[in-house]
Amino acid sequence: MPQVSRYLTIYISFIKFSLITELSFKINFLIKIFVELLWLSILIIFYEILFSNTDNIAHWSREQYLFFIGCHYMLGGIIESLFLENCANFTELVRSGDLDTYLLKPIDEQFIITTKKIDWSTLPNIIQGIAIMIYALAVNPKWTFELTQFLMFVITFTCGLTITYSFLLMLCSTSVWIIRNQSMMELWWLFSTLMRYPKEIFNDSWAHSIGWFLTFVIPALIVINIPASTMIRKFLHPYSVLWMGICTGLFMFASRKLFKFALTSYRSASS
Amino acid sequence: MSGIIEAYNLTKTYRVHQKQPGLIGSLKGLFRREYKLIQAVENISFTIQPQEMVGFLGPNGAGKTTTLKILSGLIYPTSGRAVVLGYTPWERPDSFRRQFSLIMGQKNQLWWDLPAEDSFRLHREIYSIDRKSYKNTLDELTELFDVKKLIRQPVRELSLGERMKMELIAALLHSPRLLLLDEPTIGLDIIAQITIQNSLKEYNTKKGITMLLTSHYMKDIEALCTRVLVIAHGKLFYDGPLRGIIEKFGQYKQVRLRFAGDQLPANLNRFGSVSATGPIVELKVDRDKVASALAQILTQHTIVDMSVQDPPLDQIIAKVFEHAKTNSVPREFIETPQTA
Amino acid sequence: MIKKNQPVIRKSWISIRKYLNILSICLTERMTYRNDFILSTIFRFLPVMTTILLWQAVYRSSGKESIAGFSQRQMIAYLLLIHISRMFSSMPGLANGIAHDIRNGTLKKYMIQPIDMIVFLLCYRCAHKITYITTSAIPYSFLFLICADNFDDFPDLTILLAYILSLLLGFLLGFYFEVCLGMIGFWMLEITSLLWIITTLNYFISGQMMPLNLLPEFWRTVLYILPFQYMAYFPAIVFLGKLSTNQIICGLLIEIGWALILFIIAQYTFYKGLKHYSAFGD
Repeated sequence: MPQVSRYLTIYISFIKFSLITELSFKINFLIKIFVELLWLSILIIFYEILFSNTDNIAHWSREQYLFFIGCHYMLGGIIESLFLENCANFTELVRSGDLDTYLLKPIDEQFIITTKKIDWSTLPNIIQGIAIMIYALAVNPKWTFELTQFLMFVITFTCGLTITYSFLLMLCSTSVWIIRNQSMMELWWLFSTLMRYPKEIFNDSWAHSIGWFLTFVIPALIVINIPASTMIRKFLHPYSVLWMGICTGLFMFASRKLFKFALTSYRSASS
Repeated sequence: MSGIIEAYNLTKTYRVHQKQPGLIGSLKGLFRREYKLIQAVENISFTIQPQEMVGFLGPNGAGKTTTLKILSGLIYPTSGRAVVLGYTPWERPDSFRRQFSLIMGQKNQLWWDLPAEDSFRLHREIYSIDRKSYKNTLDELTELFDVKKLIRQPVRELSLGERMKMELIAALLHSPRLLLLDEPTIGLDIIAQITIQNSLKEYNTKKGITMLLTSHYMKDIEALCTRVLVIAHGKLFYDGPLRGIIEKFGQYKQVRLRFAGDQLPANLNRFGSVSATGPIVELKVDRDKVASALAQILTQHTIVDMSVQDPPLDQIIAKVFEHAKTNSVPREFIETPQTA
Repeated sequence: MIKKNQPVIRKSWISIRKYLNILSICLTERMTYRNDFILSTIFRFLPVMTTILLWQAVYRSSGKESIAGFSQRQMIAYLLLIHISRMFSSMPGLANGIAHDIRNGTLKKYMIQPIDMIVFLLCYRCAHKITYITTSAIPYSFLFLICADNFDDFPDLTILLAYILSLLLGFLLGFYFEVCLGMIGFWMLEITSLLWIITTLNYFISGQMMPLNLLPEFWRTVLYILPFQYMAYFPAIVFLGKLSTNQIICGLLIEIGWALILFIIAQYTFYKGLKHYSAFGD
């Protein structure tokens, strides 16, 4: 597979270049890491305050909920460090017309546009997320390790990641038609808000339809819920995993199509 | 005949949103938008042969950049057909994109905080250039542009001219057969302009690369191109040798005379318009009357020094643009391109 | 003579008209983002909704009637009211814009043109806020209508006046706070990351995440003195009628005090900054 190794070599260069670039602004880099830590502590404080008033939230116990937070944090970390900055930059590329230089290269446009920059300062979030998950598992007395369960977690988590990435790609594709003053960052923030809480909180009567919408139309709710449930609650409905698989396929396909279409549209409109 | 670029009746129309001024106008715009059609390029046809260096001239907004973008596959034409390097450019297969380069003077594709060499290496991967020929080409190019010592410096520390040279190297690394240049010398000082012109010329003679370039600096065009395309208001206005423009539009020649003694002869203005500074007189004489005018002057007066020149190209071109504004395209100015 | 007075009046009228004109141009500029309205309306609902749902789940699971003195209904009302507070006090991109202008030299236009930068920006923000608030009015009234159950009777007139006052002061406080931050750009090249820290922290300590009543007593006192809570928490709590008249007056006085302090700091640092700028800038 010479193509795969070619793309891999290019990606390694991206990783390296981004790090060098980032390190030339050392203070900025450190501050960014500090912000991430600050945000994590705020989340933990909020979590502590919530659980000082109750022993479970929508049937998620203290430890389970902590695992959920870790899972959310890790997924956010991956998206933010690998793709978010690139997607945000796409809007700017469209606006300034600098997208042209990308389109001239004999390489897949989606690849070069969504992976060019790696935000090293949010990479630690991935580790922090993992650490929180491990801690949550360790303090959970009822939990034991099972290989199949772990594999299911890895698979569903990857699906969740793919769905999120595809969603991000679709969002940034629309910037070809819509001139926004909202940044991609804000839109991402909103999407990430939707996946931040257990889906059981939607069990309230009036929110039922919204929960349904966020599971079956914009499947933000399943992204974290299914992998986290799989791992810590051993609660695995075959249909939900099936649905997650279908969603992943659909979103990958649809986002790719939309992206390609957006490029065509850009090319017929740009001057 | 098959050229490296063949364009047939290329037309590009844009739909531009019209906004009315003021608050009321934008309130209206919330509900109903008005659009205006703009013809960026209209029915342009030309053929460029391998190894030619062709200049693309036209006032701002004439459609030069649009044409270059169509030819490099960045935008679709509204109608018309083009074959570039045997491909339809807007299908953009990788094999097509490997064979040409487009350089836009104001766009920068190198990594800002890294040495240019790192960007070149990435380029090697993207264009799948094998290591050996990469090394050879890089050596050759850094030699040609005289930047061997600079490729390890972060790009942001380079001067504008040096950066442009790096951009050119990046564009030439994969040995493209066709080089499209959009304002390559914009913002550069004279020295950088001239070195870039020379390097490009040398590269062309050595490698036989085909070049199509737009520039605001007539000097670039004069130095590099034997053939020019003039485009104004989206229409092709002239296609032929550079000399042809001068002959068609430079109706007069500049005759500089230095008379012996302090006395300037009167009624020189019967030959053309006169401007005098001290003992030197400048006459604008009609092209076909130069010979007879000079003969008359030489017999009647004593001349210490004299010269006959074409007016500067900038002036002629300005005149051509002026002409294009008031007239529709005269058929006779479009010549069939000669085969190289 | 009567005529003697005229130039002064005319001058001030011209000056007022100038800024009115700026206001109108800024309004126009905001209007051009047509697609934004629809998107932002949809998206604005979602985060509010999820936090409300989370709190509902907390109340349901804990079986408690009130948490930190907030009943479930009050908690929901609080979370909605926070958005009204933020509608006035948030200034997206203001500090960053100033720092950006300083860095790339756009600031010079304020030095050449007869316009005071801070007043100009205030006009711009007013315009921004007017469009933002008017365009949000429909979706928000819709949202509040849905959640009307969670509100008690409308507060009486004095409280309502105090509420409006606290919102307007919140706008000024938010504005001058961001301007002060932007002024750091005179001395520091890159302030984006610094702003990130402050925005993140502000999100928590201004009470946007939850009522500050949930915090330990000590921290509540600290935050009572600092300006942050007046940009979100304080107006909401006034509206909910959780404060006595004395507390409201004290709070408003502190808010006025902070608005003044920040105003003075902004003017002073701008003056100092310009000096520094013309001495070192190119």
